[in-house]
Amino acid sequence: MIEIKNLTKIYGGETVLDIPGLKINRGDSFGLVGNNGAGKTTLFRLILDLIRANSGEVLSGGKDVREGNFWKYYTGSYLDQRFLIDFLTPEEYFEFLSNIYGLSKGDLEKFYEDFSDFFNDEILGKKKYIRDFSQGNRQKVGIAAALMAKPEVLILDEPFNGLDPSTQIRLKNILNKLKDDNEVTMLISSHDLKHVTEVCDRIAILEKGKIIHDIKTKEGTLKELEGYFAAS
Amino acid sequence: MIYTHFLKHQWKEMTRSPFWQKNVALNILLGFFLLIMLLYLLVLGLFIDKILLELFPDKDPVTVFNGIILYYFGFEFLIRFFMQSLPTLNIETYLHLPIKKSAIVHYVSAKSIFVIGNYLTWLVFFPFAFKVIAPEYSVATAWIWVGTMVMLIFTNNFLTTYIKRQLANKPSIVGIFGLILVGLILLNYFGIISVTDFSAYIFGQLLVNRALIIVPAAMVVATYLMNFFFLKSKLYPDEIISKKKEKIDSLSDIKYLKTLGLTGQYISLDLRLLWRHKRTRSIIYMAPVFLLYGLFFYPNPAHQGTPGFLIFVGVFITGGIMMNYLNYCFSYESNYFDNILANYRDFEAYIKAKYLLAVSISTVCYVLTIPYVFFGTDILLINTMTYLYNLGFVSFVLFYISTYSKKRMDLKRGAAFNYQGIGATHWLSMLPAFLLPVLIYLPFGLTGFGTAGLLVIGALGIAGLLFHKTALNIVLKQFLKRKHIMAAGFRE
Repeated sequence: MIEIKNLTKIYGGETVLDIPGLKINRGDSFGLVGNNGAGKTTLFRLILDLIRANSGEVLSGGKDVREGNFWKYYTGSYLDQRFLIDFLTPEEYFEFLSNIYGLSKGDLEKFYEDFSDFFNDEILGKKKYIRDFSQGNRQKVGIAAALMAKPEVLILDEPFNGLDPSTQIRLKNILNKLKDDNEVTMLISSHDLKHVTEVCDRIAILEKGKIIHDIKTKEGTLKELEGYFAAS
Repeated sequence: MIYTHFLKHQWKEMTRSPFWQKNVALNILLGFFLLIMLLYLLVLGLFIDKILLELFPDKDPVTVFNGIILYYFGFEFLIRFFMQSLPTLNIETYLHLPIKKSAIVHYVSAKSIFVIGNYLTWLVFFPFAFKVIAPEYSVATAWIWVGTMVMLIFTNNFLTTYIKRQLANKPSIVGIFGLILVGLILLNYFGIISVTDFSAYIFGQLLVNRALIIVPAAMVVATYLMNFFFLKSKLYPDEIISKKKEKIDSLSDIKYLKTLGLTGQYISLDLRLLWRHKRTRSIIYMAPVFLLYGLFFYPNPAHQGTPGFLIFVGVFITGGIMMNYLNYCFSYESNYFDNILANYRDFEAYIKAKYLLAVSISTVCYVLTIPYVFFGTDILLINTMTYLYNLGFVSFVLFYISTYSKKRMDLKRGAAFNYQGIGATHWLSMLPAFLLPVLIYLPFGLTGFGTAGLLVIGALGIAGLLFHKTALNIVLKQFLKRKHIMAAGFRE
């Protein structure tokens, strides 16, 4: 589904990302872990064509993402608060997105219904602009927005950050359900090793812009990852 | 001294920002203009007595000069209103440190005294005081007079900053102030009162009764304190928000826009953006000032013979607000620009929406300026032609140029201390838009075919409108080419 070839990104003479090859298949749940500045967000931004690579390419469905808008029709993403149009109310924001995605009124109603648990009565009907919500609740809006159009490719950067414990658990359930459907390709980054091992079947460690481990999740994976980060 | 630290930090903030470094050329140009202005004022100051004697041989130069002082300060106020940007400080970084809060507020209130505009006209006032007033009265009186002028300059300075600050906060105050100003102009125009006589009288009194200097001194202190207490009441960013719980407006319900499909969606998003941020809303409140700007020039018989200058005014009042919007239309969205790139599938509609909104803004301005026909049908002609020129030419050029913006603009940041308004650099970058129609007009005007010149300006606009599809396509291509660079800038 997503294929990366000889991808490099250089900022001010320093190589921040260097991935000779990476293939993420349809239905994969791909977790990306790494310390600050390892290049996780940079990689996601390259996949979403938000920044330009110095060399190499990102293929989505076999086609270079720079070649147009085709990938936007099946990709949902939430990288950071910069994705939110924060002077809208959550309802206005969802309505706006549903128009962009070409969803019907019924789709929107269904979406509200599906996410009513996740929102936990803290988002809808509050008569507040998004900018006046707490950070955790803004994060909820962003994640739900990424899932809204039922994307085939889902890209989330640090989705668990700032969420309260109940919502973290609900998010894990949502993601695990998507994974079981086997249709959605997920790319999720996290600082939290526990969360990511619980959600992803495949985990890559990014260090200084290079993928140094790429493993299938199994029983001892969490210990293994912890051991790695304790040593480095 | 904490103030020197503030100044040092701000100097570093300015010179280290990529925006400043890339705009060296603009800064040099600004410096060049300043130099020319200094030269003009110096010459004016040195020969002011001769000039006044030449123009009014049978009148006392002091009385004549005193008669125009009020006009001067009124004009200066207008220039300041558009040209002077407000001093800002990122107070959150200092509030938690052991720094006296009043020191922070004094710094932000007083910083505007460094604005160069406060010192320019000293070049005229000082020579006049010592060449003309001193021999006629006494050196002490000359000092009193020139001191009054300097204090009035700073009164004007603090008054402008106060009004510009209030613009975001309580627009009604600005409205009342504007109405008083307009009322005075009209009363003067119809000869009911005479600003000239009044001005000559009060400054004449000053020369005989030196104790009156206490009045301008009180005015400087009062206007300074107005700024000080205004800012002091805004020290806690969260209090401003909680004090008035924002009511949700119903801008979402513009039915007509919903019929426009995606383009309508984008327009209503932009409308909400403009309406729901103090900074952008203040521009809407500024609109009457833009529109009334014409009152200063159209009724003045001195300008009736020089339509070249009135074209300049016409471009400004029918297009000023539109230009302001187009100039910032991408940077306004810097907070969620990544979202636009990752989610918007139809950039054509996105670009078209921005153009349609710009066109609508200019059209509203044009319709509101139609009453100026009262001062002559040629003014309606000028406004119509400059309106077409704005729609079909300036709009595309500015739209294209705006894809070069990459300065992050955080509309959310607290209004009182961080309010960045329209300043001199802003207008300077648009100077070509104002000068071009004048240049087109001049060869016609000088040879006596003024109306034809105006029609050529309008025709340029109509041509642009006819080819608007091509023009918007060029803008779209440019946008797609620049989007990564813009996004990188907006992320900073």
